[in-house]
Amino acid sequence: MKYIKKISTLATATGLGALLATGVTGCGDNSQQIEQQQQAKGAFIIIEETALGKYKIKDEFPADETRIVLKKLDGTEKVLTKAELDELIKAEAAKIDDGTSNLTKENPPQATQGMGLGETIMASMAGAMLGAWIGNKLFGNQNYQNNRKAGYKSPSTYSKSKNSFNKPPKRKSSTKRSGFFGSKKSSSRSRSSFGG
Amino acid sequence: MEVKKVLHVVVAHLVARMLNLEKLTPLDTDYLESLGFTWHTDSDETSYISDELIVISEEEAEAYYEATNELYDMYVEAAEHVVQNNLFHEIGIPFNLVDIIKESWENDVHWHLYGRFDLSGGVDGKPIKLLEFNADTPTALFETAIIQWAMLKKNNLEEESQFNTLYEALIDNFKRLVTLKEDVSSFEEQYDGWSFLFTSVKGNAEEENTVKLLQHIATDAGFETEFAYIDDIEFCEEEGIIYNDKNYELWFKLIPWEDIALEESDLAMILTNIIKNQKAIIFNPAYTLLFQSKGLLKILWDLYPNHPLLLESSFEPLKGQKQVQKPIFGREGGSVSILDEQAQVIESVEGEYENHKMLYQAYTQLPTDEKGLSYQAGVFYAYEACALGFRKGGKILDNMSKFVGHRVN
Repeated sequence: MKYIKKISTLATATGLGALLATGVTGCGDNSQQIEQQQQAKGAFIIIEETALGKYKIKDEFPADETRIVLKKLDGTEKVLTKAELDELIKAEAAKIDDGTSNLTKENPPQATQGMGLGETIMASMAGAMLGAWIGNKLFGNQNYQNNRKAGYKSPSTYSKSKNSFNKPPKRKSSTKRSGFFGSKKSSSRSRSSFGG
Repeated sequence: MEVKKVLHVVVAHLVARMLNLEKLTPLDTDYLESLGFTWHTDSDETSYISDELIVISEEEAEAYYEATNELYDMYVEAAEHVVQNNLFHEIGIPFNLVDIIKESWENDVHWHLYGRFDLSGGVDGKPIKLLEFNADTPTALFETAIIQWAMLKKNNLEEESQFNTLYEALIDNFKRLVTLKEDVSSFEEQYDGWSFLFTSVKGNAEEENTVKLLQHIATDAGFETEFAYIDDIEFCEEEGIIYNDKNYELWFKLIPWEDIALEESDLAMILTNIIKNQKAIIFNPAYTLLFQSKGLLKILWDLYPNHPLLLESSFEPLKGQKQVQKPIFGREGGSVSILDEQAQVIESVEGEYENHKMLYQAYTQLPTDEKGLSYQAGVFYAYEACALGFRKGGKILDNMSKFVGHRVN
């Protein structure tokens, strides 16, 4: 059998012997750059009620003016008014301040069916823009970045939304970009979180 | 004929048995550290490497080898089916990777370096069943290739065999990135000095040293190599992949494609154009995300219904049977649940994937030991099946599972 071999044969046939003696070598660390994001002025968002009082973002597009359409469990649709939006954002901002918002908790409760309406709106791209005055509280918060994804119906909705909002800056096509994954929080765990 | 069939079932049931485990002297942590294997101890201070080996027969090793090779061919057929019928959305592929997946699928230069099949059965008298295929960013490479081997040496078992040619198989498969055929003897002649950059995200020792092991193997194969963290690399649609003002034609990244799609969508776009402009080749290729998607398990069941290596899989809960609910792109058991015949949760592992599309796979009991711990076989594939290792843990194997080596009796 080709694939089952005696250790001694293999260790001499390959560089494994050298590896066993020296290990893999270390490598220097360089400073990291943070990617800058550009954002559109407003957004058209469709939010769906997935269970009583639980919501998810169904779709989201950049737009000049912000409109949020709410599809309720009973099948009716309504457009949220400016006053209703302001009220929801204000309430969510207060929860962020006193630490009760699921958006900024490190381990939010299981959100299988969605989040509250205020949380869902804030998780959207538009929410972050609408509440620009609390934007800094959120964007600097790694938990918010992680929990935001939970507000979307599917990963592809999140990706599509993020992609259409982060329009690359106008530039020559030969511009080099770097700093990707630079803001990813280092894990205190030494074992990988992926790999199956 | 019928009688014979029934008898066969009875016999198969009778031979279902416990695992054959063998206690060994563990490797000391100083030695593991010196190898670069720094993730030897879990957060609860227990050793990540089991001090036991699973003893298997040559026939059992042979069966893993054959099953894995057959499964890989089936995955290629299933992926072709997805590409031909435009089923990317159905299996949860982020839309911004569809182009790069198609580009990589069309051209042989996008060679699959390696992957790991997770299998149940095979060592407990029960048939081998596919659980999933970690085709994009498989870990457990260091453990399988090096650690279980060093354990044999340490315990003076070096005359014994192991189903483990991972190191050698990877050397050959690295060479095939250039020769693009089974025979690698023309590598030296064909290799034109292309530079190979190896990459991980900063801050995770396991990922970094797994990548450095691969770099070591590529260097051994004859490539000119370098290591860089992802955020220090420059990406350019016209010029390709650049680190320290040097251009790299070959790039290995131990970063899941779906993370690139969801967290760095600009990078997904640039990489798509780098591939289209033929400025660099990326490993593992983007099409390995098709294999990685658990949605492909449903496509496999559609194409090969009742195949002996497969478990029934669906995007809807299965009717009247115990099953496992898995997120399409979950990792390390996160958000995985075991459901009973009425689709009620019996056991689950929390995670960040509960909003993802789910796959429902018929339940199969993993091989177990006397303490009731479950074992799962991981068979590496690099052009062909090339190595076996095991992980043990609870009914759902998660990030706290332990690595268990083996030897062939």
